[in-house]
Amino acid sequence: MSIKADFQLDAKGLSCPMPIVKTRKAIADLVDGQILEVSATDKGSKADIAAWAESVGHQYIGTVEEGSVLKHYIRKCSDDTMDEQAFEQIIELDEAMKREGLILDVREEAEFAFGHIEGAKSIPMGELEARIGELDKEQEIYVVCRTGKRSDLAAQKLTAHGFTKVFNVLPGMTSWTGNLTKNI
Amino acid sequence: MSNKVAIIASNGGLFDAYKVFNIATAAAATEKEVAIFFTFEGLNLIHKQGMHALPMPAGAEHFAEGFAKANVPAIPQLVEMALELGVKMIACQMTMDVMGLTTDDFIEGVEVGGAVTFLEFAKDAAPSLTF
Repeated sequence: MSIKADFQLDAKGLSCPMPIVKTRKAIADLVDGQILEVSATDKGSKADIAAWAESVGHQYIGTVEEGSVLKHYIRKCSDDTMDEQAFEQIIELDEAMKREGLILDVREEAEFAFGHIEGAKSIPMGELEARIGELDKEQEIYVVCRTGKRSDLAAQKLTAHGFTKVFNVLPGMTSWTGNLTKNI
Repeated sequence: MSNKVAIIASNGGLFDAYKVFNIATAAAATEKEVAIFFTFEGLNLIHKQGMHALPMPAGAEHFAEGFAKANVPAIPQLVEMALELGVKMIACQMTMDVMGLTTDDFIEGVEVGGAVTFLEFAKDAAPSLTF
């Protein structure tokens, strides 16, 4: 299946260090939280892109191989750490798993595709407003993202729309050690 | 963690050029502050004419085909990219004097300095590399 990205960069046929140089240039035009897809044929680019993202502070989501083409997914982020926890109703992931409600994953589609908790529902943060009708006010909702920052905002948004049984999952998927389901 | 990468380029062949400029551009693209100190034959790598015809090591000429096939960027292109990414290039004044070279012999963007200029930059750089 194809994975949703905000921008595509074609680095096919280029050898090291060009895929990295091009990726750096391309990601400068994205805003925080957007996803860049880099297509490359350089076999070393998988390790390089991951190391590059780690070094400069962006989130390397994963790589899909399609024949000789490697498609790398990177999420631009300058700061994903929780600076301010505004939403007060919080829950730990383990605790949420034991309960009956819905796990709502508000990360981007690409992040969800590369690994999520079985049974979780995906609505990226940016689409929450438009898709709020898909959620049930009677059900407990445990909002999860990678670190707890986006889910904090999403939980506030749900509350503003009259949802009361909303919990922000802290810290988020970074602390998840259970099985991951993939859609790739 | 150091955010600086210091490189000494002291050889003037095509392979040397790739080692130097690949590492330099990759480091600069990873938001590192990079300086290359060109000395002795390394000055060849930033010489206006010389950089277009860098020699292969004796017996390795057959790699020319491999370079073309792997679609490796040409050295002048890599150098331009390195400068665009903010890589600092310092030509060693002492060896320039020995070899009778002036700044006019080098591409634009090259600075001239002595050993202390490089040492000052490299004192807190990690890694420091010599090619």
